[in-house]
Amino acid sequence: MWFSRLLQRLFPPAPTPAALYLYLALAVVGSIVIIVALHRLLGPRGRRWLIAFVTFIAGLFFGLEYFYPVHGDPAKNFLTDWIEPVSVMLTVVGAFTVGLGIYSLLQVHGRNLAQRRPGWHNSLAFFLATFAMLVFGMWEHYLHLPQPPPEVVPWPKGIYEILFNGLFAPLQAATFSLLAFYIASAAYRAFRVRTGEAALMMAAAFIVMIGQVPVGAWLTSFIPADSPAAFFRLEMLGEWVLRWLNTPAQRGIIFGIAVGALAMSLRIWLSLERGTFFSEQS
Amino acid sequence: MSAPQPTTLSDRIQQIPRHYVYLLLAGVVVWQLLFPIRLPITPSVPTRGVYDAVAAVPDDKLIIITTDWDASTQAETGPQTQAVIHACFQNHKKFVIMNLQPPMGVKLAQDLAQEAAAEYGAVYGVDYANWGYKYGYENVLMAMAKNIPNAIGDDFYGKPVGELPLMQGVEDIHAIGLVVIVTGLSAMTEMWVGLIQGPYNTPLAAAYTAVMAPIYYPYLDSDQLKGMLVGAKGAAELEAMVDRPGKAVAIMNVQSWAHVLIIALILLGNLGYLFARGRGGERQP
Repeated sequence: MWFSRLLQRLFPPAPTPAALYLYLALAVVGSIVIIVALHRLLGPRGRRWLIAFVTFIAGLFFGLEYFYPVHGDPAKNFLTDWIEPVSVMLTVVGAFTVGLGIYSLLQVHGRNLAQRRPGWHNSLAFFLATFAMLVFGMWEHYLHLPQPPPEVVPWPKGIYEILFNGLFAPLQAATFSLLAFYIASAAYRAFRVRTGEAALMMAAAFIVMIGQVPVGAWLTSFIPADSPAAFFRLEMLGEWVLRWLNTPAQRGIIFGIAVGALAMSLRIWLSLERGTFFSEQS
Repeated sequence: MSAPQPTTLSDRIQQIPRHYVYLLLAGVVVWQLLFPIRLPITPSVPTRGVYDAVAAVPDDKLIIITTDWDASTQAETGPQTQAVIHACFQNHKKFVIMNLQPPMGVKLAQDLAQEAAAEYGAVYGVDYANWGYKYGYENVLMAMAKNIPNAIGDDFYGKPVGELPLMQGVEDIHAIGLVVIVTGLSAMTEMWVGLIQGPYNTPLAAAYTAVMAPIYYPYLDSDQLKGMLVGAKGAAELEAMVDRPGKAVAIMNVQSWAHVLIIALILLGNLGYLFARGRGGERQP
């Protein structure tokens, strides 16, 4: 495919690691020069048209590739061969958002810290956590330990494991686990049978809640699993509610969401959506 | 302004202070962790579907286990991943772990895979591998459908995936016999169904947190998903099927009685509400 050949000619594989870093540096500098030049040369209207144009072309490419009839073996159309390089390119471009996110966080928390704003200690914790994880994460990665790892691991790997498995994971799990307590309290305080619909909802909720745990099966285990009355075992009733009542309702919701997403995609593709870059510029 | 103090019995049972509710729940959790009442676990049809889908993968094809979860849902998705890994090893199926979002899942799943691999004597790169976290959502899927080594690039340890022995002959999505989506995030299934299962007929199975599973029953009904693990229950059922009772079974003991407690509390609150209404004076909690 000529496009792949062109890309390979333009961006040949780096012969050495040093050359790779040189190419990377050149690519970053080149990108910055292009972005700054465009920013200076184009006014707000020009920038708007440029972004709208790129958005339209990108959407058109993927839309056409998906819907255009295919032929041959393997089945493909005139755009199929472009999917892989374009997707990889978009992945690379998208990865820049990670850097943007980190930069934004550093900026916000750096300001908090420098000006000793209320809650500045949280910003300090952010910096400590970020840099500790960054340093030991990278260090651990570049140790290139064999697989499976040895019994006694180097100390940077040990510290990384403490940070990740000893702090990060339990903290996140504990934060999420608190929800169980709030949900239990909220269900008790707010769930009242004020109407017939609420009674129906409560009955369905009880059947599913109890049918989805072993105690439900145990409570109705006196009904033989192979008897005609097996349907009334709680686990069977719970499954019936999920498969026969929940499924059509969810299918309807999915259709509704899909139609909404299609409309939203069209608006974004044609740059009609408000509340984005354009409306702020104007 | 503080809430009015409950004066009657019906008010009191509607307004049990929340810290008592928290304590009761914590008590049930600790009780079941320390002194579990073990109840039988019977695999459901959706869980059997996952196991059967794993067992049906041809030996020359790979299974992808996506680990799109993090510590926040680890109580459910961790045992699910572990049980699926056991099912793969027991059926002598080669698998790869990959992660689209959030990145944390790839490391947590790698730890689980290493633990199980040691039990079965499996070798990294030969019997299983980890493609690592790949940024780009749909773009990654579209690219890997056409060319897996190019789209994936390096594995979890920074080694080109094309150099791994189990990747020999793996070119595109046709080398994949099954994708098991283990996720705590919505929208991942839609991506796999739209970009992989639909166009290439690659079989899919999934494992979800209990709270999000009801959304995906239509995909099970339409056979777009061959099977589904529903929360810790699904994980416990698969653990039972692979004869490795682990964390999920313990979680189900706790969850059973926690559900009973929550139902009892809701009934109690409604009892108070009905008494109050009978008196003609409805009180909002």
